[in-house]
Amino acid sequence: MSAASPSTVSEESPRILSRELVLILCVLALVVLLALTALLSRMYHKKIHTLADAMFAQGEADEQAGQVKAALTDYRNALAYNPSNPLFQLHLAKALAAAGRGEEARSYLLNLLSESPGSGEVNLELARIAAHNSSLADAMRYYQGAIYGEWHSDPIAMRWQVRRELCDFLLSRGAVKQAAPEVIALQENTPAGDPARLKIVAQLLLRTQQWNRALEVHRTLLAADPNDEESLAGGAQCAFELGQYVTAMEYFDRLPRERREQPDLAYRYDMTRRIFAADPFLSGLVAEARAQRVAGALALAQTRAENCAHQTGQSLVQSPPQTDLQRVYQQGRDLQQDWAPRYLERFPDRLDAAMAYVFSVENASAAACGEAQGDDRALWLLGRSRSVVNQ
Amino acid sequence: MAAGPQPVCGEPVSEAPVVPVTVPVEAVAPAIVDSPAAGQENVRTRWESWMHAVFTLREDRFFLMLAVVIGVFSGLVVVCFRLAIEWTQITLLGASLSPSFPRVVLAPTIAGIVVALLAIHVFSRVRGSGVNQVKAAMYISNGYVPFGTVIGKFFVCALAIGSGQSLGPEDPSLLMGAGIASLLGRSLRLSQEKLRLIAPVGTAAGLAAAFNAPISAVLFVIEEVIGTWSAGVLGAIVLAAVSSVVTMRAFLGPDSLFRVPPFRLAGPGEVLAYAALGVAGGAASLLLLKWIVYARPKMQALPRWTEYFQPAAAGLLIGLIGIRFPQVMGAGYAIVDQAMHGQFVWQLLLLLAALKLLVTGFSFLSGTPGGLFAPTIFIGAMLGGAVGSIEHHFFPGLTATIGTFALVGIGTLFAGFLRTPITSVFMVIELSGNYTAILPVIISTMIAYGISRAYQKVPLFDLLARQDGLLLPSIEERREMTSFVVEDAMRTDGVLVAEPGEHIVEVARRAEANPEAALLLRMRPGEWWLLDRDDVLRLAPDAARTTTPIHAKSKGPIPYLFRDQGLGEALQVMGDWPVLPVASRADLAKLEGILTLADTLHAFRKTPKEEAE
Repeated sequence: MSAASPSTVSEESPRILSRELVLILCVLALVVLLALTALLSRMYHKKIHTLADAMFAQGEADEQAGQVKAALTDYRNALAYNPSNPLFQLHLAKALAAAGRGEEARSYLLNLLSESPGSGEVNLELARIAAHNSSLADAMRYYQGAIYGEWHSDPIAMRWQVRRELCDFLLSRGAVKQAAPEVIALQENTPAGDPARLKIVAQLLLRTQQWNRALEVHRTLLAADPNDEESLAGGAQCAFELGQYVTAMEYFDRLPRERREQPDLAYRYDMTRRIFAADPFLSGLVAEARAQRVAGALALAQTRAENCAHQTGQSLVQSPPQTDLQRVYQQGRDLQQDWAPRYLERFPDRLDAAMAYVFSVENASAAACGEAQGDDRALWLLGRSRSVVNQ
Repeated sequence: MAAGPQPVCGEPVSEAPVVPVTVPVEAVAPAIVDSPAAGQENVRTRWESWMHAVFTLREDRFFLMLAVVIGVFSGLVVVCFRLAIEWTQITLLGASLSPSFPRVVLAPTIAGIVVALLAIHVFSRVRGSGVNQVKAAMYISNGYVPFGTVIGKFFVCALAIGSGQSLGPEDPSLLMGAGIASLLGRSLRLSQEKLRLIAPVGTAAGLAAAFNAPISAVLFVIEEVIGTWSAGVLGAIVLAAVSSVVTMRAFLGPDSLFRVPPFRLAGPGEVLAYAALGVAGGAASLLLLKWIVYARPKMQALPRWTEYFQPAAAGLLIGLIGIRFPQVMGAGYAIVDQAMHGQFVWQLLLLLAALKLLVTGFSFLSGTPGGLFAPTIFIGAMLGGAVGSIEHHFFPGLTATIGTFALVGIGTLFAGFLRTPITSVFMVIELSGNYTAILPVIISTMIAYGISRAYQKVPLFDLLARQDGLLLPSIEERREMTSFVVEDAMRTDGVLVAEPGEHIVEVARRAEANPEAALLLRMRPGEWWLLDRDDVLRLAPDAARTTTPIHAKSKGPIPYLFRDQGLGEALQVMGDWPVLPVASRADLAKLEGILTLADTLHAFRKTPKEEAE
């Protein structure tokens, strides 16, 4: 205390010394207490982490053994000792979700999400709960979060899997429009040399009616395995829907008969056959055969128009024509002589005009009386495909 | 403003010597150390200089430094206390949240007997509310908290809570903080005034560490222990709370007590949902209050020998309930966390709230030492979760999760039961680390607080103190006591203001016309003098043309007041002056009225009816 003024020292020395001593004792006590607390704390943390890990391991074992209730209790116990452990929380949430207690799981997952908003796993679990609750907007949001989120192991495969799950969910909800871009993204992220995934993509493309892309994927698959039935069937469906009946028939022909007759293919196969039988534009046909096919098509269209007019109570010869059907029918009536089989055979340039008339009649009939069946439908489909080709 | 009002709540004059705090080292130490001996001398000089600076600090500054030390000590002790509870619980009840049958009954029963023996024969002061013990230390025993009570609270409460008694560690923690602070204050021979204030400082440190919530701890001490925002102690309280929380977090981690998913209030309609929770919380807090208020005197009236068995009986009852509902045992924070994550259906939540209310009553009424904070949190969370679940059932569009309702429920019951509304709001935020719930919490807590006040006039801590035969000051009453200001007592008539240049005859004429009026001379803005009426009247008849009031006898300059100043403050300023001017804050030359001692005393005597008029 040499720095203090003499008067201060003389007046206050006992007090200063006393404080000095007490403070030194305080510091000593603090050091001892600190060391003791550190020791106790370390022992405690070691103990509870051991307990928590043991309970967590027990929970996992219970879960694997199918004892969900016991697993839940174990996870809860583990979490009680290590409340901020995200792995414990995630497992508990998963177990809760698996037990159908989505709302309880959701709470933990939201908590985890607030701590790590980019976690793919948490987003995926939340998406599944939202999907289970039929909450389309939430499910989409969380699935997107999972797709673009962080994955610790094999992120590419996980993202692909999540997107696939999203597509399945959307299609199961009938949200084809929302599913279509996701399926395209899935296709873009699928390696060409992975037939298993390509098959999944192809199926999803079929379900979202993206025929061109689906056909492309099926062709890739068939290039690797020309006899793969699913690919042939899928390719046939796509080709049929695209109006590529020759390709469709080629795939149908490569399929076993039993497969062709299955419900998903039978109708298309039947139609393709009918189209093949009616199409006058097929390559390799002689002029006579073409003329006969056109004549047959004209007769069919005529009958279809008459039946439709009868069904709807209108006269095909009404003048002036009021309906599309009347208008189309009357336009072709005056040319009937020119489209006699002999003239068609002699003047092949008339085939196109005659068939255009047939297609117009079929279209007008379909609009007035609903979709045609049988050969009429085959003609209508043929007309539609020709129209697409022309366009 | 030389003669302006003097500070009323200024820093108290230190009892420690006021000497230069630091001596520049350069002035003492040689510039160049050219030998080992000189080096040693240099170190010694520096050390002495530092020691001098520390030990000759003004007491206010020393008090602040001491607050940090108290905080660190309290933090360490609270960490050990919490570890002791956990160890005891694992040892006695097992590691699982659902203890096995023999343990669940035997542990609290046998521990109850040990607790009773310790509380009766070894640590006789461990029973009762820690808050009231701190208040008693502050208002009755000059800040003295026996250190034996700290030791007793530590061991007995750890045993009681760890064995499953439905009590919490916060109340013992705050008393431990106060006890440590008291011991340090006494050892360091602080002044009487500082010794009295040091208990709340320790209280804040203990509570902050127990809750991991420094702001709530500070607010609680202000709301419930001190009752005022005293600038003299606020800094120390904040420092102690912060340092204890930092210490605690160093060992137990920084995580909030509860983790609640964030949420948003979708629209004003949702406010009604929380208002409903406020009503339910108010009713539940009343129920708990009434249950304790009614049963405690009856328990105290039982023969003394029963005290040996009351904790054990409570433990047995709790154990029996715990066979089926182990969630109600102990502090129950893990269960609160589960409730916040929507783990219970509303029926179970309601049942747990009711059972916890019951078993907390058993534990507390049996005289088992421990706090009521944790059970309040538990009941509030369960009730909040139940109300939230029911509301979700009827209004599925509600955006808030069950966890949010549980969280708001905590604050609601806390406000209703402990009657500390501001603390309750901040506690919810700190406990959850989530600010999004603030609006619902405010709405709900205020409703619960209002209901509790309406149907239970005396707050819990005051009631407990009265039942124990202590007449501690009621902080709630003090907080809401009407504070009079100068405006309530001043008069605008009965005063004449003279100007320095005014002819004295004119002044005398006015004085004669108002024989009762005081005569004030306005020398310049902010400088007022009191004129001697008799002298003015004496000078006037023979006054020359140049005679002004300045020539008359006068006293001054006199202090002046403003109309918004407190009357207590005015009394201090008034001293021996018979009258004081009340000036305008906007214009110090403008007189708004005068204040006399008689007017001041009359204002204090006003009845509430008169006041309302």
